[in-house]
Formats: sequence, structure tokens, C-alpha cells
Amino acid sequence: MKTKIFRDILIIATLKSIPDLKRNPSTIVLISVISGIPLFFMIIFSAQIGTGIIGAMVSTVGFIGLNSAIQDMTWDRYLKIREIVVAMPVHPISYAMGVALAPLIVSIPGLLLFMAIALWLGILTLQSLIWSIAILIVCWATLSSLGFFISTNLRRANVYTLSNLSNILGLLLSFLPPVYYPEEILGNFSWISIIFPTSNSASLIRIYSGSLIATTQIIIVRWVVLIITMIIFAIITIKESKWREP
Amino acid sequence: MEAVESKDLVKIYSGKEKVEALRGISLSIRKGELFTLLGPNGAGKTTFQRIVSTQLLPTSGEAYVLGDNVITQPEEVRKHMAVVPQDIRTYDNFTPWEYAYYFAELHGLSKSKAKENAEEALKAVDLWNLKNRICGSLSGGERRRAIIASALSSDADIFILDEPTSGLDAVARRHTWRALTRIVNEGKTILLTTHIMEEAEMVSDRLAIINKGRVVTEGTLEDIKNLSDDKFRVIIEGDIDKLGFLGKRDGLIQYGSKNIMYLKNEDEALEIVKKALGKGLKAEAAPITLEDVFVKLVGGETDENQNF
Repeated sequence: MKTKIFRDILIIATLKSIPDLKRNPSTIVLISVISGIPLFFMIIFSAQIGTGIIGAMVSTVGFIGLNSAIQDMTWDRYLKIREIVVAMPVHPISYAMGVALAPLIVSIPGLLLFMAIALWLGILTLQSLIWSIAILIVCWATLSSLGFFISTNLRRANVYTLSNLSNILGLLLSFLPPVYYPEEILGNFSWISIIFPTSNSASLIRIYSGSLIATTQIIIVRWVVLIITMIIFAIITIKESKWREP
Repeated sequence: MEAVESKDLVKIYSGKEKVEALRGISLSIRKGELFTLLGPNGAGKTTFQRIVSTQLLPTSGEAYVLGDNVITQPEEVRKHMAVVPQDIRTYDNFTPWEYAYYFAELHGLSKSKAKENAEEALKAVDLWNLKNRICGSLSGGERRRAIIASALSSDADIFILDEPTSGLDAVARRHTWRALTRIVNEGKTILLTTHIMEEAEMVSDRLAIINKGRVVTEGTLEDIKNLSDDKFRVIIEGDIDKLGFLGKRDGLIQYGSKNIMYLKNEDEALEIVKKALGKGLKAEAAPITLEDVFVKLVGGETDENQNF
């Protein structure tokens, strides 16, 4: 049973990513460009490029986490693929994980580009890169579970409404909190960065890269908040997720 | 053990307006038969199929697939079936091969078996030559056949197909019929809904006509045709006033210059055809079709106790 769950995750992730990679490579460029646009302005205005690169990595996984969970699931429902899958011997977790994993695969080239730039400019070391990858995975999982939570609770909403909602949320979570800019700018309100999974992840990466100083306790609190956010949304989604209509 | 069995299945959609989609459907579908559900729009066909295929919970009643309860044992039920929903659309970036192959894998088949089944399924729906074209470049009918292939490639015992040939041209439809009858001959069961009466006549072993959430009648094609007292129909084209007596007949139906009348026996039908031809009109007689019976059963303000 467990083997089939993992196998199905891979099949769904492959089905929903490889055709796009093969036939629509502009998707890769689009994902990277959306996250990379702020870097252009940061370079022009001589802002902190290190924070910008980290922000680009975080917003890439944040966007695709939300979009996959909201848009993909919604489109599957619209196209009625979901009806086929619900009636198949496929575990709901396999389906959700496969759907979430697919865009992560598509975004890997863009992420690798940002990571390479970060290493080249000395923003990240190899050690901090490994921490960064772990943080990005948790950030992706948190945003995916938030996306699944939204698509589950708004399952009667119009496909276009949900699509717009995911884009608006993605933009807000990437640009409003301190993702592309250092949280120090917020002064006494810098704690706000812990609340949002995107800014919390960006600050954690900055801590591991050495550009933000934090105590061990603060690092632990940041990790706990990030992981708990993911778990809470995941639990609510699993509980409320009605694959079978009542 | 029946392939599919429902007992007094009721489904009420409670939204702004309460809709009683099923009002106590009891049906038995035997293993290895192609069973067709016929009914007008909104009759409850899709709701019935969605409950049986574990996508939707009933308000009350029971349903079983190969002995497994669809309400309490959905995981077991899902192992047995493949589904083609109504009005399904394809992802433009997928190819027919990807649909057939990956969906077979998701049904739990090994890679080699999935490849073998995908090839067979695509050939069965006459899509093998287009297997690597993306769906976005295929016609509507070809896309539909790609979806049908995704169901056929599974090793399912029961296929639940909701208007699978809607939108297909006549040739493609016949390819699909051949594929469906082939899998029934292999001992599989198909629960089909269709609006195409010719399709129901050609492929069904047994049928049920449902209307307003109730079973109006069920049985073989002959059983259903026998419900009608009229056994023949005569179509006359032209000015029927030339035949005088015809205009006074009850039940004469006119569509423009064509007139249809239903008759109890062949001799009477042939007699009228002969008279019409003698008056220079076009005329033909034929046994009644399923469509004739269907329209009589559910046409207008329907009542399952309606007499013919």
C-alpha cells in the first residue's frame, strides 16, 4: 500500500511536469522571470542584491506551492480529471503530493540558476546552501498546504476566481512581507517576518548565510513556526478535504 | 454476485433549492453485460453513476460493486472500476499515449503491462497513429477517444462511461462501439449512459430508462420495445390529405412534410404504404425503434405508469 502511494506520487508528478518541461519550456522561464524581476530593480537602485537573490528563491517555491495547490487542483476539477482520479485506486495524499511536486520539478532549473548566482556572488556557502534547500522545501510544503486548504474550502468557487486568488496571494506573500528586502527595515516590527512563511524562510536563509544575526532561540522559534504552520494547514486540509462529494 | 447493485438509492441535493435527483433507484447489473441507462437531461443518470463510482455519497439507500459497499468500502470499489465522466476535457499538453499509459499505471499495472494495455486501448479507439500528438492539436472527437483509451487501458472489471461517444462522428462512434463490445466479450461489465438511441440499440445487453429520478422500465431491448402496443411505424412524405383517412387518425405526428404514424401490425402498415405510393407519395414502413418507445415513455409530462 505504502509503495503504491509513493509510486502514484511519482506518476502524478511526472504526468503533470514532464509534458510541460518537454513541450512548454517557456513555463520554466516564466517562473524564473516572475521571481527574478525584483532583482533587476534592486541592481538599478543598488539595493542589497544578496537579500534579493534569497527573496527570488523563496518566492519561486512560494508561488509554485500556492499555484499548484490552488490552480492545478482547480483545473483538474474543471477538466474533470479529478473525477477520474477520485474513482481510481489512488490515495488522496498521492494525488495532492503529486500535484504539488510537479511544479517544483518544473521550477528546479530556475532555482538552480538563483542558487548558482548566490554561490558565485558569495551570498551562500555550500553549507548554508544545504540549509537553504531544507528551508525552501519546508516553505514549499507550507505554501502548498495553505493552497490545498484554500482550494478545499473554496471548492465551489469559480475556476478563474481561484486562479486570480492564487496569483494575488502569491504576490502579497512575496512582496509585502520582508522577502526581497531585509526585515531590519521594519525596525521594531521586524517580528512580522516570522508570521509569514515566505519572509520567515527568507530570514532563516539570511541567518544561515550570515547576513542576519539571530540567537539560537530565535532560530528554533522560526523553524517551529514554519513547521507548525505547515502541519496545521495540512491537518485541516486532510480533515476537511472532501474528495467524495457529500 | 451482481456487478453493480443499487437498493432504493436516493439523492437529494440541498442547496438554495432542494433537488431530488434520485428517488429510490433499484437496479441490478450483471457481470459481463453492457447495461445502458437512458433518460432525458436531468433524469438522474449521472448522479447514479457518480454514486456507484464512489464520487458522490447518496442521501439514503445502498449500492454495491462486485459485493463491495460503495459507501463504506470505496477503496475496494475503486480497484474494480474505470470511469469516463461526462463532458471531460483534456490537458492540451498531454498526448493520447500519456493518458493511456500513465492512467494504466495509476490503476496499479506494472510498466510493461501498462505499455501493453495502452497500445491495445489506443488501437481499439483508432488513435494509435496519433499517439504522440499533443491533445491540443487533436480534434474534439480524437481527444474524447484519448480519454476513453485511458479507461480501456486499465485492467478494470467494470467501466462506468457517461456519454462517452458524445461529440464523436459516426465512424469514430462505431470504432468505440467495437471497442466496448470487445471488452464486454472479455467478460468485463459496462455501465453506459447515452443520448444516442442507435448506440443503445446497437451495444446494450440490457437497458433501463430513468426519468425524474425513478426507473421507468428496465430489461432487454425486446422487453422494452414490447411495452409498446404499436409495433410498426409508417413515414409518409408529402400531402397526406391525398389519403383522406390518415388525417383523422389519432397519434399522427407531423414534422414539416413528413408524417409518422404508429401501427399495431405489419399488414396494416404495409397497406398504408401501398396506398401512399399509389397516390404518388413517398412512404416506408419499419419496426418501431427504441427512440419511439423512449419518447412515448418519457416525452411530455411523463408518468412511469403511463399506458401505451
